[in-house]
Amino acid sequence: MSDGEILTAIRALFPTLMALSSLALVPIVKLWRGQERDDAATYATFGVQVLLLVTSVGAVLSGAGYVSTLKIGQVTIDPSEPGRLLVVLGGIVFAVIVGAGEGRRAGTMGQIALFGIAAIDLSLAIPSGIAPIALLLFASLAISGAAASGKDDVGRARAVFRDLRTVSLLLPAVVIAEILRTAISYAAVDAAYATPASLAAGTALGVSIVLIVAAGVFPFHSRLIKIFEALPIVGSLLVGVWIPSALALIVMSELSVLASSITDPLGGAIVPGILLAGAATLVFGAVSALLHDDIGEIVGFIAVGNAGWLALAAAAALQSPTDTSSRLIVLPGTLAISLFGLWLVSVRRRYGTTSISELGGWARRTGANGIALISAIVALAALPPGAVLAARLNLLLLGGNPLIALFAIIGQLLLIAAAIRLLLVGFTPQSQTVHEAETRPFANVITISLIAGSIFVAAAAAGWLSLETGGTGPLPPAPSVSPATSFDPAPSFEPTAAPTGESTPSVIPSGSGEVSPAP
Amino acid sequence: MPSLELPLVLIAILAGTLAVTSAGRGAWVALAILSLSSSALEFSVADPDRIGLILRLSAIGIGLVVALPENLFEGQALRRDLALTALVRTLREHPVVVASAIAGLLLGLVPLALPIESSSDALRAAGIALLVVGLPPLLTSRFIEATTRAAVVTLAGTMLLRTSIFGALDSLTALAIAAGFTCILVVGGSVATRISNAEGER
Repeated sequence: MSDGEILTAIRALFPTLMALSSLALVPIVKLWRGQERDDAATYATFGVQVLLLVTSVGAVLSGAGYVSTLKIGQVTIDPSEPGRLLVVLGGIVFAVIVGAGEGRRAGTMGQIALFGIAAIDLSLAIPSGIAPIALLLFASLAISGAAASGKDDVGRARAVFRDLRTVSLLLPAVVIAEILRTAISYAAVDAAYATPASLAAGTALGVSIVLIVAAGVFPFHSRLIKIFEALPIVGSLLVGVWIPSALALIVMSELSVLASSITDPLGGAIVPGILLAGAATLVFGAVSALLHDDIGEIVGFIAVGNAGWLALAAAAALQSPTDTSSRLIVLPGTLAISLFGLWLVSVRRRYGTTSISELGGWARRTGANGIALISAIVALAALPPGAVLAARLNLLLLGGNPLIALFAIIGQLLLIAAAIRLLLVGFTPQSQTVHEAETRPFANVITISLIAGSIFVAAAAAGWLSLETGGTGPLPPAPSVSPATSFDPAPSFEPTAAPTGESTPSVIPSGSGEVSPAP
Repeated sequence: MPSLELPLVLIAILAGTLAVTSAGRGAWVALAILSLSSSALEFSVADPDRIGLILRLSAIGIGLVVALPENLFEGQALRRDLALTALVRTLREHPVVVASAIAGLLLGLVPLALPIESSSDALRAAGIALLVVGLPPLLTSRFIEATTRAAVVTLAGTMLLRTSIFGALDSLTALAIAAGFTCILVVGGSVATRISNAEGER
């Protein structure tokens, strides 16, 4: 292997290498500080935070260009622009969250975050059949299992059990979608089989179900709520928000390719169904967030509301495959929910409770947490109005149903109201719990990093920073559920030309299993 | 090894059925046999370098070692649980599952109503039979170990169905799926242990 190839491998696999190196870090720190020393956990946490930030910087330097494309035999690992952007921001977000979380297991949580963002980067870099989706689903399961370890808590174990069931059910859906997708190009030449539009509808339904279930769209929201209730916040965010966002990018890419490759409209009620699910999820998440009194549950329901936007984006990707709005809203939503997670972990750590009734006056007592929540609200509302808000409105226009759009807008406003309610609680008279809590001085590394991190992430989420180009860019090797290049399907019949007088097929077989637009 | 294909298919379906109907030792041994037979079916024909097969077997081996309950290999108990009469009794106690497996096998022998035809009817039949056997307990079971085994049966069936149409997995996908098998077994085992520990403490 030449020096150039080694450098390419390092660029392509940088987040994965950093995650693997963290496995050695904790034992080294313990060896250095000694098993008995109390500060070993602190040093390990600090080391993992440094690794997260190095991963972030390394992803910027490595980029997603051809110099980062690794080829090992027939395997290609081609880092994508959205994947690298998720790594850059994920490294920063999780470094701050791990710092704010403190505690004995903070270092482990940092390691989990490193592996999570490495899995996201790798899956968005693999242009190979079902591998990216399988990788993300299994990474989600592994992360929830690892995040729940260390404590014999039935609630946590049941949340992981639910995740195991979900992941095991989603993979057959992906494979069935893959089979249907492959059939599309051959259906066009034989009227005896299903039409390309109906097969495309089946494929769209299969991949959309993966997104809808994994992201926690109504009525599949309970898994997400249980995750936010039971798992530590790093695990909750990765399993409930970051990995579904990466899945959303893959699914939307697939839906765009699918919709642009057939000329007939998709059959069935796929698009209206996804639109309805999206709007219902926004309203349901917001109303539930307003009705609950536990901040863990409230943040979970705000995440459910965000999943509604993912569903609306999936419908838009089917309606208008060339429009980039659907991919633009993924990253801001992820960052906004991460800010809520950051606020949640910081408040929970400081006051030791998640009940709103015991958190009166929290913002007056700890102003840094107040800044974190205000940042989260700004990110959720995407203020001041800019590219992100425009993209959301565009999604509603693409949906083409004013009633759905109205419901979605109401849902979004109610979500913001639920978040403002949390802030208002912070300015009520101080509760006994808040009054007696021990606070840090303002000039503290953790406090300063909490404030700076919140403002930076809010700026990225609300569109103040020009990071949206990365979100809108194509997945350089668009990962899809299409078969691997090695597959050479052999139809069992002789393709015949459509008889004269019959409708022209909307797609023609390209001979490689891929779908090409009709001339 | 086309001559071995049919016996392997039958062994895989029988093992899959026992994995979801038995309890304790019988179920875990059946799961190990299912894993071996389905991996051999999936990779032996189309993967000349055998990397996929090695990855799959290693992954399932690691997963089983971690997930297997304690005292599994007690000689006398193992002989008792794996006696032919015990296995037949288990199958007779679950006629619906056995009927589902047979129905899945027959259903799988019918070509798909799609313009892509399977190159191997046997693999497709095994895949659909395992899916039919594995999905119901995966959806409904409240027992963690049973759900874990059902998840493995379902995943094995899914991969066999896919292989019957697309051929063996490429090495990267094989790695991802192998990791998935390990993940399901390890996480399932760990959740089962944690819940029993927590209930024990209570």
